[in-house]
Amino acid sequence: MKINLRIWLKIPDAEAATVKNTLLRRMGYEDALEGLGKERLWSIEVDDSVADPGDLARRLARELVNENKESYAASVDSIEFEGGYIPVKVGLHIEDGEAVSAQNRLRNRLGFDMVRGVERSVIWKLALKSEKPEKTAEEIAERLLINPHKDFYEIMT
Amino acid sequence: MKIAVVQFPGTNCEHETLVAARSAGLSGEIFRWNRPAEELSDFDGYIIPGGFSYQDRLRAGAIASKEPVMESLREEAADGKPIIGICNGFQILVESGLLPGLGGVDVALAQNVMVSKGEIVRRGFYCAWTTLRHEAPPERCSGSFLLKKGDLVRMPLAHAEGNLVTVDEDLMERLNEENQVIFRYCDEGGWVEDEFPVNVNGSLESIAAICNPEGNVLGMMPHPERSSFAWQLPPTDPGKSAGDMGSPGPGRRIFESMKRYIEVRR
Repeated sequence: MKINLRIWLKIPDAEAATVKNTLLRRMGYEDALEGLGKERLWSIEVDDSVADPGDLARRLARELVNENKESYAASVDSIEFEGGYIPVKVGLHIEDGEAVSAQNRLRNRLGFDMVRGVERSVIWKLALKSEKPEKTAEEIAERLLINPHKDFYEIMT
Repeated sequence: MKIAVVQFPGTNCEHETLVAARSAGLSGEIFRWNRPAEELSDFDGYIIPGGFSYQDRLRAGAIASKEPVMESLREEAADGKPIIGICNGFQILVESGLLPGLGGVDVALAQNVMVSKGEIVRRGFYCAWTTLRHEAPPERCSGSFLLKKGDLVRMPLAHAEGNLVTVDEDLMERLNEENQVIFRYCDEGGWVEDEFPVNVNGSLESIAAICNPEGNVLGMMPHPERSSFAWQLPPTDPGKSAGDMGSPGPGRRIFESMKRYIEVRR
């Protein structure tokens, strides 16, 4: 099974603000983009035999979330988004060293023997008022959010 | 010959880059990103120095590449004026499509991955002195105009994302055939080995620097401004000068090359 931890900042997200400003002020999306948010996503593959995935999610969050400045939501296997925006998942298609390090840390240092794999990505939440919001989200992903030589994107609606 | 050292928010090598350029006989000034971009046409050449433009938000160089000054630099590059991007400047040139200059974003500078004997031994930020081997014939590129093929140049590097990668399987062949690979990492004897620590960041074919097809735009991960004076060299380097503060270091050849390129172009 897969435990998903969606993590967002409680404090203002300067990176999201910069991306939004770039889209509005430099790339011509002032008529299409209403809002933009960002979340980090850890997707952690664990043994199917785990009895209480909710408790495991809480214990994993203690290691991967800094609750002084971040909030999180946990889910098992699927991710439900709230609506009102297009979620665009961006991750590396080349090896992700930080995800590898996190997996090693969880398994070998912190005793999470049930962890089988760790993936890391960013969810860009694009509130769009264009006629074809998914098409616009794809365009934004390809023009700004990814470098195709190392990143992939996925529209998650 | 007046050059602009283009400064974005988060750039942090603009001053020493200008000092190094002046030591090679160029004049110039620091050009902040929010000046009217059309004023760039008053200059004969451009350097985008190192640092962390926009705090590397999104990914290194991505946000700066969308600034109006980059559109102006694209026009100046099309006119044949020289541009050198150093470290973060290289990342900006890649994200803007000016390098390798084949029509789009053709490569990425990904996180460093240091590989030795088939194993990843280290990742991420790395700071070290390195030796570069000049791979192109003389006068191929504005920033190495005065160097011969095989010349070795010492300079330091400091970056986390300098690992040149591409999904285009034919790209390397094209870059090699067109002499767009300008520097490769090598050992002190000039031997290129695709293993850490000679290949410091896992870059494809140990690439440290590339130019555009026309040769006027150069991007390099190492910092020539940090070895432009002999006193900047490490204590073990026989070329180190402790007394004469003006004595040139190997990195100055990059700026002297730019100067010569501008002279010839005139």
